Amino acid sequence: MDIIVPIKQVPESSNVKMDPETGTVIRAGVETVVNPLDLYALEVSLVLRERYGGKVTAVSMGPPQATRALKEAVAMGCDNAVLLSDRKFGGADTCATSYTLAQLIKTLGKYDVIITGERATDGDTAQVGPGIASWLDIPAVTYVSKIDGVENGRILMDRLVEEGYQQLSTALPCLVTVVKEVATPRLPTLKGKIRSMELDIPVYTAESVTGLNPEYLGLKGSPTKVVKIDTPKVTRSGKMMAVQDEISLRSAVDEFIDLFEKKGLLP
Amino acid sequence: MTDAYNRVTEKIVEELKKIVGPGNVLTEEEKLEAYSHDETSAEVYGHAPEVAVLPLDAKQVAAVVKLANREKIPITPRGAGSGLSGGALPEYGGIVLSIDMMTKILELDKANMVVVTEAGVVTNDLATMVQAEGLFFAGYPMSLQTCMIGGNIAENAGGGKAVKYGVTGRYVLGVELVTPRGDIVQLGGKLVKDVSSYDLKSLVIGSEGTLGIVTKAYIKLIGYPTAKSDLLVLFKTPEEAIDLVPVILAKGIAPTSIEFMDQLSVITSCKYLNESLPYEDCGAMLLIELDGSSVSQIETDLVQVGKLCEEHGAMEVYVAEDKNNIERIWNVRRNIAEAFKVYSPTQSLEDIVVPISRIPEMIPQLERLGKKYDVQIPCYGHAGDGNLHATLVKNPESSMADWEKNEALCLEELYKVTSDVGGKISGEHGIGIKRRKYLKDIIDPVELDLMRATKRAWDPNNIMNPGKIFV
Repeated sequence: MDIIVPIKQVPESSNVKMDPETGTVIRAGVETVVNPLDLYALEVSLVLRERYGGKVTAVSMGPPQATRALKEAVAMGCDNAVLLSDRKFGGADTCATSYTLAQLIKTLGKYDVIITGERATDGDTAQVGPGIASWLDIPAVTYVSKIDGVENGRILMDRLVEEGYQQLSTALPCLVTVVKEVATPRLPTLKGKIRSMELDIPVYTAESVTGLNPEYLGLKGSPTKVVKIDTPKVTRSGKMMAVQDEISLRSAVDEFIDLFEKKGLLP
Repeated sequence: MTDAYNRVTEKIVEELKKIVGPGNVLTEEEKLEAYSHDETSAEVYGHAPEVAVLPLDAKQVAAVVKLANREKIPITPRGAGSGLSGGALPEYGGIVLSIDMMTKILELDKANMVVVTEAGVVTNDLATMVQAEGLFFAGYPMSLQTCMIGGNIAENAGGGKAVKYGVTGRYVLGVELVTPRGDIVQLGGKLVKDVSSYDLKSLVIGSEGTLGIVTKAYIKLIGYPTAKSDLLVLFKTPEEAIDLVPVILAKGIAPTSIEFMDQLSVITSCKYLNESLPYEDCGAMLLIELDGSSVSQIETDLVQVGKLCEEHGAMEVYVAEDKNNIERIWNVRRNIAEAFKVYSPTQSLEDIVVPISRIPEMIPQLERLGKKYDVQIPCYGHAGDGNLHATLVKNPESSMADWEKNEALCLEELYKVTSDVGGKISGEHGIGIKRRKYLKDIIDPVELDLMRATKRAWDPNNIMNPGKIFV
């Protein structure tokens, strides 16, 4: 079973800082990681390959540095990796990104299933996965929590829904987005690491992807216009009272009681 | 040494209030409770002071100490209270002097790569502040989130990075000290070299607050290592894991950490964390961290060390290069103590240190002692520097009385075994109250005499942190 896993390199989220002027994420000097939710897609793909054979190919669209994310996917056990990188792709929204990735996947040839993470932790849209499916005109199943296996050309899955789980199957080829429950990601191994260092990751540009419509690429092909980005203001306010001794403690307590009374919080 | 101390009277409390301000003198029982224990067992070692004072600067500290020395009242310096040997506990009552209010970072001297700081600064705050400038305080301990610089210096704290960077003392260029007689003296400073006097600063570092109170420190900084990667290596047996440590060190690569975890530690921690690593068949793990300023150099070193591990029989070598994976594998190591608390909260956290080459001999001994005294002894710690946290964990089924008896006997034998292989009873936690009765058995009597003589010369009234180190 040949599997394609689109992944994204994202800023490591624990120390993301926002530019107060532009409202965008400051990317300079911030450590990047493989989108943590993509690791579940990689893991379940590797498990499926171990069961059914075939190849797992990780693909990513991004700047040349995104090679690092693909190398990590190879270190985890992916057979191949392809980077899609061209200035012409810059500024792409989810529509243009999914179009470009879909065209790349067509260019790469035969596949049985595309598995993606639920969403990327930076954009949080969860649109690129289903977008790829729609450009490729294949079924998309989102929020998959378990892949039971493949029988008679159909893939059997559990899907996480509000009321519980849906059991369903769909014909191959198809696209599946997975949630955390689907698997626990493995750590990259030394053998994988060495392979990833030796592996030359091909870089596809706008020229090397077949049948690209230039109108659909990058900023030009992106119907999403960011009008304004706002950081929500914290409107609640706090009051600190410094307590040094008995006297200041008493006055602090009195002030609290006053405040609670005014707010109608005391019985 | 005289231990006939006087009590803290109303009059003395008034005098203390005049020195540090009434708000910074605590006498209420419920407030003093917080100053009565550290990370050792409160039931066994806890003791409340008669009064706690929180001075704002060295002058106030000196005035409090002068008063204590004049009145022969014991005085116990205290940092964050995260110690593991009872070093900050006022066993004789008297005054606890907290450095809590002395939290100013005074100067970042980038030209000399020195930061000058008050003693009550939380180590993590200092590390974060200098990191923003691309600089690194490398000598910090594992408890960096809570502990304070003053406490680090008093205990000469060490941590997970000691293999490459050494312990706190290596980075202390100077201290401002309030002596047990209440004088303020500066020992060392910004000089990298200085042989113009006895190296008294080094005597103070690790003296557990028995020779005075550090109020200010001159800390040497180095460039922040921007690249970092880890290996998690699984072995069939602890011997295989430990045997590899000197092999790695001999290659000339200096890992930041080489942490060892035996099977019991690994299984308990992995279960606690719901970690899916294939730990069931593994007899021990090594966690090896490399850091530096060049990503490609670290990558090369990582592969070289990883290959060495494979050549020496490692079952699997995992690589963690991004923050999430690095956190994931360090979590296994960091949560061992927590995981055992779920199994049995009563423990004795030890930190014996032995020559690296003798660690393999300790493993079967720990197993034997565990069986003999009905305790579990998970063994984990800093294999790269021979410092092992062989922790005694009470059998949850056994009675408290049995545990207390067994703990004492087991510790005594553990320390004996440690000494027999050329080790010492504490690598980084200190002697404090907890280990003082064992000290005489493992130290040269001449050395102990010299230590006592030093203490008498510096603190004739024995008011400065009495009851620590010496019986």
